[in-house]
This record gives sequence, structure tokens and C-alpha cells, in this order.
Amino acid sequence: MFNYVLDRLKSSIVVLFVVSIITFFVLMIIPGNPAQLILGADATPEAIQELHVAMGLDRPLYQQYFSWLLDLLKLDMGKSYVYGESVTVLIAKSIPVTFSLSIFAMIMAAFIAFLFGMISAIKKDSIADYFSRSIMQLGAAIPSFWIGMVFIVYFGVKLKLFPVSGFIPFEVNFFRFIKSITLPSLVLAIGEIGTLLRIIRSSMLDSLKQDYMDMARVKGLSSFKIYIKYALRGALTAPLTIIGMQFAKLAGGTVVVETIFALPGLGRLVLTAVEHRDIVLLQGLVMFITSTVIIITLIVDISVMFFNPRVKSFQQGDL
Amino acid sequence: MKKIIAMLLIAMLISACTAQENTPEKADVKTELTMGYTTEPEGLDPHRTAAASTFTVTNNIYDTLVGVTPQWEIVPRLAKEWVISDDGMEITFSLRDDVYFHNGRQMTAKDVEYSFTRLKDAESPRARDYENIVKIEVLNDYEIKFITAELDVELLKSFVYPWAAVVPEEEVANLKTEPVGTGAFTLEEWVPQQHLILKRNENYYGDEIKLETVKMVLIPDATGMMAGFQVGDLDIIPLTGDQVTMVEGNENYKIISEPMNAVQIMSLNTKNEYLSNEKVRQAMAMAINKDEVIEASMFGYGAKIGSHLPPTSPDYYDTNNIIEYNPEKAKELLKEAGYENGFEVDMSLPKNYQLHVDAGQVIADQLGRIGIKVNIQLVEWGTWLSEVYGAKNFDTTVVGHTGRLDSYAFLSRYKSDSNDYISLTTGEVDALLEEALKELDENKRKEIYKDIQVILANKLPAIYLQTPHTMLALQKNVEGMKIFPIDFYDYKDVYFTE
Repeated sequence: MFNYVLDRLKSSIVVLFVVSIITFFVLMIIPGNPAQLILGADATPEAIQELHVAMGLDRPLYQQYFSWLLDLLKLDMGKSYVYGESVTVLIAKSIPVTFSLSIFAMIMAAFIAFLFGMISAIKKDSIADYFSRSIMQLGAAIPSFWIGMVFIVYFGVKLKLFPVSGFIPFEVNFFRFIKSITLPSLVLAIGEIGTLLRIIRSSMLDSLKQDYMDMARVKGLSSFKIYIKYALRGALTAPLTIIGMQFAKLAGGTVVVETIFALPGLGRLVLTAVEHRDIVLLQGLVMFITSTVIIITLIVDISVMFFNPRVKSFQQGDL
Repeated sequence: MKKIIAMLLIAMLISACTAQENTPEKADVKTELTMGYTTEPEGLDPHRTAAASTFTVTNNIYDTLVGVTPQWEIVPRLAKEWVISDDGMEITFSLRDDVYFHNGRQMTAKDVEYSFTRLKDAESPRARDYENIVKIEVLNDYEIKFITAELDVELLKSFVYPWAAVVPEEEVANLKTEPVGTGAFTLEEWVPQQHLILKRNENYYGDEIKLETVKMVLIPDATGMMAGFQVGDLDIIPLTGDQVTMVEGNENYKIISEPMNAVQIMSLNTKNEYLSNEKVRQAMAMAINKDEVIEASMFGYGAKIGSHLPPTSPDYYDTNNIIEYNPEKAKELLKEAGYENGFEVDMSLPKNYQLHVDAGQVIADQLGRIGIKVNIQLVEWGTWLSEVYGAKNFDTTVVGHTGRLDSYAFLSRYKSDSNDYISLTTGEVDALLEEALKELDENKRKEIYKDIQVILANKLPAIYLQTPHTMLALQKNVEGMKIFPIDFYDYKDVYFTE
């Protein structure tokens, strides 16, 4: 158990290191000289060269990489060109937005997916099953930018139930915070429900077929107890892994939804960095996002092991 | 007892009512403006960026020596008046003596000297524009003289641009995030990716500013922007052509629209085998229906042009009828040039600019009809700058050239030795451009610029498409907002009527 966690930690660190190399070098070789982009079309070649040197871009790439990596270990990711502010601070300010969106979206998605997924599985091939499966198809097929716009126009402009855009931090006003992230979270949730629902349905079906289910029925347990306590519990592993992966994906920034609802999250920050060729900011963001994904995957893996002892013994090679 | 209480209550009520009546109605007028914007500024230091998104904001925080009206007149700003020497080589500004920086220190000629030295240094993207100013002399606290190496009759206009702002030396280290200027507004806060709040400068030297605060809210998506405007969260928004119908005809909204000080052109690489042929270029120009291009890229909100100056420019000469849309004649010309069966060219389009991509697609289709096959390549802006603009590695491209007040700055790229990506290498305009720069008589200068425009319209080193419009949508109670020939907003004259 402890060894397993240690192994996973070690491999995560190796992955992070490799990611840092790729992040740095890929962003360095993309076309377009950052100095030229900053100075614009009218600048003299001398001015461009001078800024090039001032930004340290004339040093050999490996030297630039190591000084960047060293700063990174000290959590110093440099200063953003666009904002003139430290990248660490900028990321720290975006985290609450993206994370609260992701958490809300996943709670909504999980709630709906579990509800309909279980009904689907229990009443297999009934109208309810078909209904929930078509909903899931629909949710996966409709692009989020379109749903987002429809929501804005209908709930924001027509009914005036929710603000049309912007983010209110929860420490400012909790009620308005909830209102400001409801629509975007819902849009994100709709995109995730499909996959999750399908996994829950098939896991439930699988676990309903197990022998111990017959045993439970023979014992005369109430159907509620059968489904919730036994069937669902046995069917949790796969959905939990999926939820973790989906959360990791959302936490990495949700560019489209953040753009449509004008939310100052990580996705928007990535977009701004790309638009303005803010290489320093982009490097920091890519590093942060990949680390987040790696850490969340790690947490999911470990927690799945807690839920399901079979995984543990398998991982230890005892089988 | 009860009676007394009742009477007291009544008295209180009456006094409360009269108090309310006495409150001046003016207090109800809104003084907090909210405007949507789409692109984050690249820091708020005017000497250290070339980004237009920065200047839309900084123009309200910093001042320049002279300003410009929507009608292109040069007006006093930090300078009360100015004198240009008879030979045109020197310009002396008399500064106001009642100007204070936001940090409380008085502004003097020394600050102007410092600012221009900083604007000319190696880290400044605009250094090249001010190369010609070789000496700056502080005559006294409120007088400063600029001396040029060569005669530039448009020199005064270079003091209007928002990057020619005056900054206090002691604050320059942090100007990017904590701007300090002399302008009508100070920066209250800038929350990256959310908003930027400007607050009225109570010590401003100019007329009383009616707005207390201006909140600029970053809304990257056009639908979100329109929604915010419709529910009344936003007082002013930039408008795109496709959205005009949503605002037009609604009595709660107003639209202001002016041609931008810019030209959208299809640049041609005359080093290309086919494009080096003048007849081919003329045939292409005849095959392009500019009205369709404007319809597709700006929903009709653009003005057709035949040469490289926008219709708003005082030096503009209408060259639209020199080469008119005529696909049949275009085919004949191609035949004459020996390309009856057409040919293939590449077209690099900067994909971050939808306006140019849309125009390019329509043009490719139109050229296809006379047998010219256009292969479209979408490129990143960075790639465009280094490959197309820098390395001149292209056949054709569609792009915009913007924002200068003097025609020389617009047209100087066509000098045969300018080394620009679309210079007119055959040299027909070289002498004329030299002349224009030295001609002190305004009317004669206009004639020269007219000749240049006509030559370009015939020779076509680029095919001139349109001057797109800038459009703003306003709530009906917003007054005083104007569109300027330079890309910036000016909030100091804006006010609410209710």
C-alpha cells in the first residue's frame, strides 16, 4: 500500500520532469519571434535584437531551460509580459474561478448521471432507459458554446434570472457567487453527463448480474437497500475514475465556457497568453495545468484503491 | 398628548417631503460608466508596447502635448501653443503651468524631455518614428524645443499619438501595472481578465469631468457582450457588423459609426512570376467585387477604396473609378498578358483577424472565376509577421494598415528602397514622396499625395479593398462619446443625460 503510493509518486515526478522539458522546448520553437511580436511591425531590427537579448533569448536553449527550471522549483515562473505581474500570482487568482466551476459542474453532472444512470440500469430497456440514454446522446452532441449562448440569451437576457457574464468571488457575496457560476457550470456539466451516465449504467448492469445480488434478493432485503447498498457500491470504481478524469480535464481550464461567460479563469488566461504570445505566462500555465492533471490522477488512483481492495492487491502483484 | 404626538409626526412627514423636493435632480444622473472591451491591454506603459488595446486605456491616464479632434484638427493639450520655425526644422511648445501628475508633483518641460528620451530609447517599439528628432532643448520650466535632422512637414502630428505620452521619471519602474500620468483619469484598479476601473482625476487641469468612474469590463465573446448591453449592464460596447440589426431601430439604443483611419488591402508580391506583370494585377483588381468583400467581411459597414489612403484622410483622393469591377475585361487582360488559362497563387491569411480571413475567402472565389486558382493558407499572427511581413515569403495576403495621421507615414512604404513587403520597386512614387515630405504648402502637398494615390491605383502593388467602420453601440442616455482618427477612447467629455 505504502509502496504503491511511493511508486506512483516517483513516476509522477518523472512525468512532470518530462512535461517541463516538452513545455519549454515546444514553446521555444514555435514560429514567431517574441521580441518582434512585442515590438510590432514598425520596430527596427536593432530594437528587436536588443529586446531579444534583454529577454535572454540569445542564450543557448539548454541554459535557458535550466534557469527556467530552477526558478520553477522556487515557484517563480517569471513575470507575464501582458500584465507585468508575476505568473504565480496570475495563476493563483484564476484558480478559484476554474476550480469552483469544475467542482460545481462535476457535482451537477454526477448527481444527474447517477440518478438517470441507475434508473436506466434498473429499468433496463424501459421508456425511462431510452429517455435518459437519448438525453445523454444529446448532451454529448451539442457544442457547449451554443448551449452557453442559448442560456445567456434565455436565462440572462429574457428571464433575467442569472447575470449574463462575469464572476463574483464567494467572499464578496455568496449568493451572487452561486448565481454567477450556475449557468457556466451547467453548460460544462451537460458536456460531461453523457460519458459518466454511460459508465454508471454499464457498471450498474454489471453489478446487478453478480451472484450476491441474487443472495440479497433471496434474503428479502428492500429494493432500496439492494440497489444503493450493494449494487451501487460494487459499481463505483469505474465512475469514480471517470469523475476524477473529467474533473482533471475541467480544472485544466475551460476555454470555451470561460470565454462565453467572460469568466477570469485558467482557460481565459491560456487564451490571452496565446493571443499576445506571452511565452512566459504560457509556459507557467502549461506546467501548472499538467501538474494539476497529474496530481488529480494520482489522488483518484489512490482513492480508488481505498474503495476497491482488489486494485491494491493487483497493483502489488499479489494475484 | 396623543394630539401633540400626531402633530409632531405630521410635521416630520412634511419636512421629510420638502427635504426630498429640495434635493437637486442632478444627483440622480448616473456618473458611473461601464464599457465592454474585448482585448486585454499589454500593460499600461505607453512607451513599452505597440498594442492598440493598451492605448485605448492609457490615453485617459496620460496626456500628450497636443491632441486631435474627430475632424482631424490638432488641438492644445499639455501644450498651450506651439511655434514651428520658418525652415520647419524646429518646433517649440509652450506648456501649461497648471499640470500635476497623479502623484502630486507638478509637470515641467524636464518631464517632457525625459519622456521623449525614453520613447526614443532601445526598448521602445516606436523609437524609429522619432529618429528624426535629434535634439531636445529645455528652454525654461514651461518651454521646450524639438530639433529635427531633416525637414518633416508632418512633425507636429507625431506629438498626438498616445505613445508620445508624458510620464514622471520617478514612477517609470512600475508604469506597466501602476500608471501615473497627468490625464483626466487615474487607475483605480486593474483585475486581470475581469475589469479595469478608471477614477476621475480631481486635480485635472482641464474642464470639469462629469463621470466619476469608468469601468471597462473584459468580455471576450460577442454574444456575451451584446447580452450585457441588452440587460443594461453595459453602457457602451464595440459593435460588429453582424450585430447592428440587433441594436438598430431600438429607441433605447444609439449607434455611432465612423470610417476607421485604416485601409484593408490585398498585398501582392511583385517578385512572383505572375504578379510581377502589371496587366495581371490590373486584371485581378477588375475581377474583385469590393462590395461583396465589404458585405462578407463587415456586413456592408465599410467604404470602398482605390488607393492606400482612407476616405477620412484630408489628403484622400477618390480613385475608385480608375479600375472598376469588370470580370469580362479582366479575362481579356489576362489573355493579353499571356495567361489565358490562368495560374495558381498562394494567399496567406492571418487567422486571428476574421475580417481579413473573410475578405480573403471571397476574393479567392472571385479570382477563381477568371481562372486564377488561389490556395488559402491560414497562418498565426506571429508567423505572418516573421514570414510574410519580415521575410517577404508570400504571393498574396490580406491585411489592414492602420492609424497614422500623416499621409507620409501611410505611404512611405511604397518607396522603392523602403525594403517593405509591398514597396513599389519600379520607383514611380519615390520622387513624389520626397517632395511631399519637404513641401510646406498644404495645398501643393495635397496635389502631390493625389498623384501618388493615382499612381498606386494604376500600378497596384496591392489591391485596395476597403476602409472598415468603427462602430459603438450606446445606451440612449450616454452622450459625448466620439470616435477618433487614432484608435483610442476619450471619456473626459462623456456624460449621462439621466
